[in-house]
Order: sequence, then structure tokens, then C-alpha cells
Amino acid sequence: MTVSLQDRLTHSARGAQVGVGEAPVAVSLRRRWLDFGQSLDWRRRLWLGACGWLLFLAGWYLAAQAGLAPARLFPGPGQVLTALHTLFAEQQFLGDVLASVRRIAVSFGLAVALALPLGLLMGAFARIDALLNPLLGAFRYLPAPAFIPLLLMWLGTGDSHKIALLLIGVVFFLAIMLADDTRQVPASFIETAKTLGGGRRSVLWTVVFRHSLPGYLDTCRQMLAVSWTYLVIAEIVAATDGIGAMMMRAKRFVHVDDIMAGIVTIGLLGLAFDALFRLLYRWWFPYLRPENHR
Amino acid sequence: MKTNSGLNVHKAGKIFRAGSRQPRVALEGVSLHLPPGQVGVLLGPSGCGKSTLLRMVAGLEAPTSGALSLNGRAITGPGRDRGMVFQSYTSFPWLTVRQNVAYGLTINGDASSLKEGVVDHFIRAVRLQDVANAYPHELSGGMRQRVAIARTLANHPELLLMDEPFGALDPETRWQMQELLLGIVRKEHTTVLLVSHDIEEALYLGDVVFFLSSHPGRLREVIRPGFKHEVPAGDREALLDHPEYRRLDLHIRRLMSEEGRRAA
Repeated sequence: MTVSLQDRLTHSARGAQVGVGEAPVAVSLRRRWLDFGQSLDWRRRLWLGACGWLLFLAGWYLAAQAGLAPARLFPGPGQVLTALHTLFAEQQFLGDVLASVRRIAVSFGLAVALALPLGLLMGAFARIDALLNPLLGAFRYLPAPAFIPLLLMWLGTGDSHKIALLLIGVVFFLAIMLADDTRQVPASFIETAKTLGGGRRSVLWTVVFRHSLPGYLDTCRQMLAVSWTYLVIAEIVAATDGIGAMMMRAKRFVHVDDIMAGIVTIGLLGLAFDALFRLLYRWWFPYLRPENHR
Repeated sequence: MKTNSGLNVHKAGKIFRAGSRQPRVALEGVSLHLPPGQVGVLLGPSGCGKSTLLRMVAGLEAPTSGALSLNGRAITGPGRDRGMVFQSYTSFPWLTVRQNVAYGLTINGDASSLKEGVVDHFIRAVRLQDVANAYPHELSGGMRQRVAIARTLANHPELLLMDEPFGALDPETRWQMQELLLGIVRKEHTTVLLVSHDIEEALYLGDVVFFLSSHPGRLREVIRPGFKHEVPAGDREALLDHPEYRRLDLHIRRLMSEEGRRAA
């Protein structure tokens, strides 16, 4: 503190004498605002996050007001908010949202149920990794939407087609990323457990799996965001309900405000799921909270 | 062989073959004996294979030749009878100090030891009773190493293995830890095999010091600091002041620098 005060004093003295260069207050402000390795309390982060949102909304509002495009094709935030309200109040949009969330939950749950055992075994045992990694790694590069025609023929236009698409889009990435998480366990942890009498099964569960849990949760949080992408693709292709289906209906009648309301809804849902995962992380892994570290 | 014959290493050798590279001989024909209840120190320059030998005793590496046995049983893999403390901190971060110390007993289903207060006994022995419910991340390096020692001892090993356990600690903490370890080991009659590259640590802790030479690792000399019976147990200053200590210290220094010249 003393040092920065001193700095500011010398700067202002120099500024007064020479009368050139930047304003001294701005220099010290910039220093305090942008320094490396700063940690902020939650109040400040919330405040800055809100500022970011306000800037975005203000920019959007001004762009819409400027009349660059017809209001019908580029509505402002106020119009979209009204559309969102109308959707929920009069057009049973909640049913669409729930249908989408249900599809995400089922398909992502399935993806985790398949990928977690694979990732755990691949990360723990080199032979299983050597067997499966080239296979899954190749499948990962196939774009999931390429399977849509095939899935439509095999599974029709019902829920199973959407769930299958989400699964294909996520499960290979998930398995390989979970395997990477599993590999993070230090060899000395495993060896310690072995010299304490731990067999393969107990080392796998009490050390390898337990050590990887926070990494698994973080990976799932990130892959869930990818899931939303495939959900919207699946619903746009063929669906009678869901957020994507609503947006396609709105397109037919050039209801741009409804489409944007759909996008906003997906963004908010994503934010909510992200917050939920972060909360779980804090609850389940108290030993990883920064305030507990020495 | 008798069941309480201690650790026997018979002509143990280890050759590492990594891919297409030239095979590297880490250890060659090492034979040694550590009687039960004694502290043995593996001392030597880096590259002498002392850690490899310790890992072979732990069962984490298989010898390429020769045989190892503990109390008459051949060593074929890692086991509860040979608990190991590593230089890196290995207390599990997701467990509290108490859960860490109880870990070995828990995975072995040793309910009777858990009930008998073995865990609390060893938490007190390493003086961590005040932080028994803290997580390792809240502790200093020395405290984390004490967790690892208590966890290993609570599991009733026949042989405690330590791979430069205090190497990452500052000198002051290292001395305290050496004294603490010696106190516990004397009280519990634990057999210990410890790897060190520190002469003072070796002479202070060891009943017998195995000096290994490098390239390839061979047992060069067995040093028994028998004069330690003449000074009060654990009295570091009296020990360092003893003429015999200074003679052995100088002797080992000469061995070390000979090894250094050979390596250069």
C-alpha cells in the first residue's frame, strides 16, 4: 500500500513539474485495475459480471435504435423481453423448455453412464487405453450432425433420434476427457495405497476414482454446454416441441423476437446449469476451496 | 528361515530396459541384511540405485536377478507388511488427517484396530491431535509428512520404508522430524529402511548405514555407528561432538567424493 502511494506521489510530482504524460490518478488506477495474479472477492466479481451484461445490453439497445435494420428483423432487448413474457404466459413455452431440459438430462445422463466407466478404465489401465483410445479418438472426429439422415431413418423423428444425436455428439469426447482426468492421479498416491495393502479394486475406487471426481465434475460441466448445441440442432431438424422447435415455428412467421427469446432462454438455462455444477463442486469438494489452502 | 529374520536382500540386481536404448544397470549383486527392530539407511550419491532398491523391497519394482525376503517370506509385490513414506506429500487431499491415518486400516477391513484407538494413538504420537479434523491442504509440509508416517505406522507394517522422507523440508523442520521419528521408532520397535543422501541424517537415524556406489549401484560398505550407545539417545549435539562421529563423517565424505570423481 505504502509503495503504491509513494509511486503515485512521485508520479504526480513529475507530472506537475514536466506537465506532460498521463494523468497520475489514471496511472495508479490502471495499475490497480490490471495487475497480474489478482484475486477478487465474490462481490467484485458479481459487480463486474453485471457490468459486462449491462454493456452488452446497452450495445444491443443502441444498435436496434440506430435503425440499421428493420425492427422486425432486429428487435431490441425490450421487444425480446416482451416476446419472452408472451411466450411463457400465452404460448405454453414452459412445456417446450421442459421438453428440451428433459432431453438434455436423459441423453447427458446416458452419455456420462457410458463414458465414465470407459474413462476410468482407460485412464487407470494403459492396456485398456491402448485398445480403446484410437477407436474413440477417431469417432470423436466424425461430426455428429452427419449422422442425422441415418438416425432419422433408423429411429424416426421421435425423442430417440434426438437422444441418439446428443449421445453421439458428446460421448466420445466425454470418455476421452474423463480418461485424461483419471490420468492426473499422482503415481505416488497409487503406490502409497499399494504399500498400505490396497488391492486393485480398492486402489481404483479409493484413490484413482476419488482423486478424479472433481475433474470429472468439471469436465461434465463443460461437455453439458456442448450438449445444448446438439440439442438445438436435433430440435431444429425435426421436432414438435422443445426450444429449437419453437424457434423453427417462429421462423416461419418471421417472429425474430421469438427466435431471439429462444436464444436468450438457452443462454439463461446454460448459466443456471453452470451455476448448479459450481455449487455442487463447492459442496462436494470442500478441500479444494481456495480459502482452505495454505 | 526363521519367521523373525528381518529383511534379507540376496544378490539383487536391476536392469532397466527402456525401448531401444542401451539397457541401464541400476543395481548389481546387492546383498544385505537388516535385523528386526533396527533402522537401516541406504546412503550414496545420486544414481547409486538406492531408491530403486527401496522400491524393490516395497515390491513396486521387480528385481531382474536375485531375491528379497522379509521375515522369511519372499517379496513378490507390494503389501501391507511394507508401508512406504514418499518424499512427495502423499496424504490424500480429500481425507482429513484422521481419515488419512485410518486409511490403511479401513481398506484392509481392520475393524478391531480402528476400534482400539490405534488411529488416535498414532495421531498423538506424531503430535497432530489438534488438527485431526483438518484437511492436508491446511497443513505445512512437515505436518503432512507426519500424517504419512502416522498413516503407515497405524497399519502395523513389519517394515517401514522411507524414500528421502524429509528431503523437501527446511533444515529446522527436518531435525524435528528426525527426532520425532527416532522417538516413535524406538518406542514401537519398528524396523525401518530409509533412503538418504544426507550424512548427518544417516548417522543420526541409522543403526546400520549401507553405503552404495554408483554406475552400477553396488553395496560398497556397511557402516555401523556403534559409538551411538555412548551418547544419550537422540542427543544430536552430543552425537555430532563425538570423535567417532567426526571420523565416520569424514570417512563417508571421502567415499562420496571418490564416487563423484568416478562419475565425472
